[in-house]
Amino acid sequence: MYQDYAYLIVGLPILAFVLTIFLGWHLPKGGGFITVLATFAGLILSLGIFNEIYPNDEIVHQSMHWFSSFNAGILIDPLAIVMLLMVTFVCTMIHTYALGYMEGDPGMARYFAEAGLFTAAMLGLVFSDNLLQLFIFWELVGLCSYLLIGFWYRKPSAASAAKKAFLVTRVGDVMFLAGIVLLYTNMVKLNLTLPDGAYLLQFQTIYDSLTLIPPDQLTWIAVLLFGGAVGKSGQFPLHVWLPDAMEGPTTVSAMIHAATMVTAGVYLVARMFPLFYAAPNALMVVAYVGAFTAIFAATMGLVMFDIKRVLAYSTVSQLGYMMAGLGVGAAVGAASVGVSIFHLIGHSFFKALLFLCAGSVIHAVGTNDMREMGGVMKHMKWTGLTMLAGSLTLAGFPLTTGFFSKDEIIVTAYEHGAMGFGWLPYLFAIGAALLTAIYTFRLWFLVFDGEARSDYHKHESPWIMLGPLVILAIFALFMGMPSQESFYHYVGNNFDHFGVDFEELAVIGGHHVEHGHVSEPFIIKILPIIIGVGGIIVAALFYSRWKRFDPGMVTSEKDPLRKILLKRYYQNEIYTLWFAEKVVYGIALFSNMIDLKIIDGAVNKISAISVGFGGTLRKVQTGVIQNYLTAIVLGLAVLMILIELASMGVAI
Amino acid sequence: MIPLVLYVLLASAMFTIGLYGLLTQRNGIKLMMCVEILLNSANINLVAFSAYLPNVNGQVFALFSIALAAAEAGVGFAILIVLYRLYGTIELDNINALRW
Repeated sequence: MYQDYAYLIVGLPILAFVLTIFLGWHLPKGGGFITVLATFAGLILSLGIFNEIYPNDEIVHQSMHWFSSFNAGILIDPLAIVMLLMVTFVCTMIHTYALGYMEGDPGMARYFAEAGLFTAAMLGLVFSDNLLQLFIFWELVGLCSYLLIGFWYRKPSAASAAKKAFLVTRVGDVMFLAGIVLLYTNMVKLNLTLPDGAYLLQFQTIYDSLTLIPPDQLTWIAVLLFGGAVGKSGQFPLHVWLPDAMEGPTTVSAMIHAATMVTAGVYLVARMFPLFYAAPNALMVVAYVGAFTAIFAATMGLVMFDIKRVLAYSTVSQLGYMMAGLGVGAAVGAASVGVSIFHLIGHSFFKALLFLCAGSVIHAVGTNDMREMGGVMKHMKWTGLTMLAGSLTLAGFPLTTGFFSKDEIIVTAYEHGAMGFGWLPYLFAIGAALLTAIYTFRLWFLVFDGEARSDYHKHESPWIMLGPLVILAIFALFMGMPSQESFYHYVGNNFDHFGVDFEELAVIGGHHVEHGHVSEPFIIKILPIIIGVGGIIVAALFYSRWKRFDPGMVTSEKDPLRKILLKRYYQNEIYTLWFAEKVVYGIALFSNMIDLKIIDGAVNKISAISVGFGGTLRKVQTGVIQNYLTAIVLGLAVLMILIELASMGVAI
Repeated sequence: MIPLVLYVLLASAMFTIGLYGLLTQRNGIKLMMCVEILLNSANINLVAFSAYLPNVNGQVFALFSIALAAAEAGVGFAILIVLYRLYGTIELDNINALRW
C-alpha cells in the first residue's frame, strides 16, 4: 500500500521546496517545519515500504514511458531502501537541528528551500530505475550543493568554495555523462529486442546485457562512471572541494558529508557493481583509489586545527574506505556491496552526529579553531557526550557501528590480498584506521578536555539541537550490532533480484570465483580492535588531561613532514597555481585567440566582403537624375532600333 | 498649307533640344525650361495632327497639356525657390544631402 505512494518520497520535499521558497518569508522560522515534515513523511513512507518488501524479499518497480527509448521510473530494491531510510532519517534529524541552528539567519527560508530540494534530489537519485534519471538527480544534487555551500554568498570565501565544489565535481560529472553515452551506444549496437516496458538504460537491462558488451568497452565505461563517483564522493584527486565545502552552514556540511551528495558516488558504484565486476581491472582501480584516498586524507586530518576541516578530511578518508570496500569486491563478489553500504549507513549516522556536534560547539563557542577551545565539556555536557559517542564509533571502538563496518572492510581487504589481488588496499586501510582513531580523539580531547584556552561563550545549545544529537548518537553506537549480519545478507544479495550471475561475470572480468571464504588468522581479526583502541590511547597520551607526551616531542614547526601535511601536500599550489593558472589559463588564452582570430575572423571576413561588395555596387545608384535619364534614353534608343530591325525582317 | 512633315520635323527638333538640355544642364531653372520645351514639342505634334486629320480632340488635348504644364511649372518653381532659400543655389549637383 505504501509503495503506491513511493513517488511522494521525492514529491513531498520538492513540494516543501516550492512552498518555502515562495511562502517561507511569511512563515515562522522560515517555514523550516515544512521541510522537516516533508522529510519525516518520506521516512514514514520508506519505513512502510521497507515493512512491505523486507519480509518477502521483494522489490518495487514502477516505470512509465518518458520519450523515445527512455523511461522514468522508481526502483526500490534492498540497496535503494536502505539508502532511502538513511537519507530520510538523517535529513530529518539535520533539518530539525537546523531549526535551532539557523534561528535568526535572514536567509532561513532560502536555507530550508534549498535543503528540501537537496534532500529531494538525493532521494530521487537513490530510487531511480535508470541511469539517465539518476544522472539528472545527480546534477540536481550538484546544483544544490553549490547553492548551499555558497549559502552565505556575501562572504568571498564561501562564494569561491561553492564555485570550487561545482567546478571540481563537474570534472567528474562530464566523465559520468561520457560513461553513460558510451554505455548507451554500446547497448544500441547490441540490437536487443527488449521485452515490453523495458528500456535501454534501465538497470535491469544493463545488468542483462553485460555479458554481450565487449570487455574492453566495459572497462572504459566503468572507469568513466567511476570518474563521476570520484568527483562526487571526493576521492583522490578530485577531493579538493570537500574540505572547502566547510564554508556553508554546519548543517549543510553535515548533509553533504553524511546523508547526501558524497554518498551518491559510492551509491553509483554500488548500483553499477555488476558492471564493475564484469569489467577487467575496473575494481582494481576502485580499490586502489579508495584505499589511497583513505590514508591520504587521514594524514591531513592529523594536523588540521579547524574542527570542521578535521571532520571533512575524515569524511574523505571514510569515503575512501567505502570505495575500497567496493573495490575489494574482486575477491568476494557482491557481498562487498553489503559491507561497503553498511559502512556508508553507519558513517552517515556518526558523521552527521559529529558535524552537528561540531556545529553545536561552534554555535556556542563562536570559533572554528580548536586551539581556542578546550574544556568545553564542562559547559556542554550533552554535546560532549554525543560527540564522544560519534568519535568512538568513527575510531572503530569495539561494538560500535563503525567498528563492525570498518572491521568488515579491513577483513575483506585482507582477503583481497590473500587471494592474490594485491596487498596495498589492506595496508592502506589498516594504516588509515590507526590515523582515524588518533585524529578523531585528538579532536575530541582538544575541544572538550583540558582547560579553556580562550575566553569563549559558555552555554549549552537548545534542546531542538540536542534532541537530534542524542537520537543520532544512539544509532551511531548501537545500530551496528543487531543489524550487521542481516544487513550484509540483505544488501549483499541485492543483485539476485535482477538475476545477475556473478560467476559468469567473473569470467569476463578475469576474477577467480572463490567458493567459501579464505580463513583469516586470528591476529587479522583482532588487529582492527587493537589499532582502534591503540589510536585512542595514543591520542589520549598526547592531548588529554592524562597527557604524558607533548606533540612537540615528535614533531616541530620545522619538521618537513608536518609542513607538507599542514600545506595539505601542496595540493592548492599544484591545483591552483600550477594547473589552473599555468596550464588551464594557457589553454584558455590559446582558445580565446583561436576564437578571436579564426572563428570570429572568418565571420568578420565574410561580412566585410558583403559590405564591400554592396558598397561598390550601390555607387550605381548615383542619385543624379541626368544619369538615370541618359540610361532611359539610351535604352529607349536601343529598343527602337531593335524594333525597327525586326520590322525589316532581320532575325535578331 | 504647310506640309505636315515640317511640323513633325519642328517637333522632333524641339524634342531633341529639350532632351539635350535635360541631359547636359545642371541649373534647376534651365531644366524646367527644357521640360517645357519637351512638352511643347508634343503639343505641336498634337495640334498639327489635329488640324491635318481633321479632329478637334488633339487641340483639346493640347490645351489640357498647356494647363498641366502651367501647374507643373508653378510647383516646380516653388520647389526651386525653397531649395534656393535652403542652399543658396539651384545648381542641382550641390543639392545632395540624401545622396551617398
